[in-house]
Amino acid sequence: MTDGLVAGYADALFAVASAEGDPAAVEDELFRFAQALRVDDDLQSSLADPGVPASRRQQIVEDLLDGRAGSTTVAVVSMVVAAGRASRLPAIIDAFVERSAASRNKAVATVRSAVELTDEQRERLTAALNGATGKDVEVRVVIDASVLGGVVTEIGDDIIDGSVRHRLSQLRESFR
Amino acid sequence: MRHRRARFLVAPLIAALGLIVLASPAGASSESIGACISEHLEEMITHSDTDHVLRELREESTQDDLEACLEAPNPILPELNEIIWGGAAFLILFVVMVKKGFPAVKGAMDARAERIRADLDAAETAKADAQAVQADYEARLADAQGEVARLFEEARASADQLRADLTARAEADNVEMRDRATADIEASRQQAIADLRTEVAGIALGAAERVVQSSLDEDAQRRLIDQYIDEVTGSDD
Repeated sequence: MTDGLVAGYADALFAVASAEGDPAAVEDELFRFAQALRVDDDLQSSLADPGVPASRRQQIVEDLLDGRAGSTTVAVVSMVVAAGRASRLPAIIDAFVERSAASRNKAVATVRSAVELTDEQRERLTAALNGATGKDVEVRVVIDASVLGGVVTEIGDDIIDGSVRHRLSQLRESFR
Repeated sequence: MRHRRARFLVAPLIAALGLIVLASPAGASSESIGACISEHLEEMITHSDTDHVLRELREESTQDDLEACLEAPNPILPELNEIIWGGAAFLILFVVMVKKGFPAVKGAMDARAERIRADLDAAETAKADAQAVQADYEARLADAQGEVARLFEEARASADQLRADLTARAEADNVEMRDRATADIEASRQQAIADLRTEVAGIALGAAERVVQSSLDEDAQRRLIDQYIDEVTGSDD
């Protein structure tokens, strides 16, 4: 039911973005908005608070994305928030990104790193992931300080964790 | 029984015969006082005149003779006619007694003897019954005493068994409690060790994280990313 709901919203957003003519730009803007939403709990709870009127929540979205995203992106995010599905918005955007990439016959690889990757590193990583997964991978880098160092790559349900955080966790587990 | 009846008949006959035989000698001394005095007076009057008679009456010898007349007859031997009448009456009474009284007395005595015998038999029966009851009572008493002894023995055995069971259970509980306490202590010790190890690990890892964070400069970050890319690249070879 939940997966169906997320997939349904993702398909709807993709249909809107495709109808507006530039789904790739909407995908990129939504991806960035989702990453910002994941690290900002206050924003996420404000948008998901049923006590806050829908118009107020939509106003928050418009103020937040004003000048940073296109009208299509603002419209679809505002629609999801007004529908009271803000708590599922990151998952809906992830499904939308995968749906959009799949339309281009690509797989989305979410790469988390403490620092930005150089272009050369991005190309090498894309090639490495293409070879490892056998798919045409599209790398999206998310700067996440909690990784400490190294890289964590998520492709669908697969995770390739080479972060310092993961190694420290393994070390912590070995102490138990 | 027949001998006793013969003795009853012979004894009175002998007594009556003796009285009849001994009655004849007593006949002389059996005259009356008046006849005796009259005889003396008639003899004195016949042989003497009135004055002489009066004189003789004053003489002591004459007075002794008269006083002799006043002496009592033989207290043992009655008059003959009395003996005859008495003997006849005795015989009649004896015959009546033999014919009527003796059978009645004998019947009464037999009845009494029979009653006594029946009473004795009843008493004997009662005694036997009492002895049987006593024997039964004693048997029951013996059984009861045996039962009491058995119950006492069973109770004692049960008490011994219960005491042994309680002792064994107490010992088992003691052992179990000791084992449990030992296990709890060991578990607590292991938990304390684990907690301490976790705490130490946390402290050490926190320190390691701080060291790693401080040491992860741009070059280190780049090397880590390159190393990661190399590993991913190597994994598909």
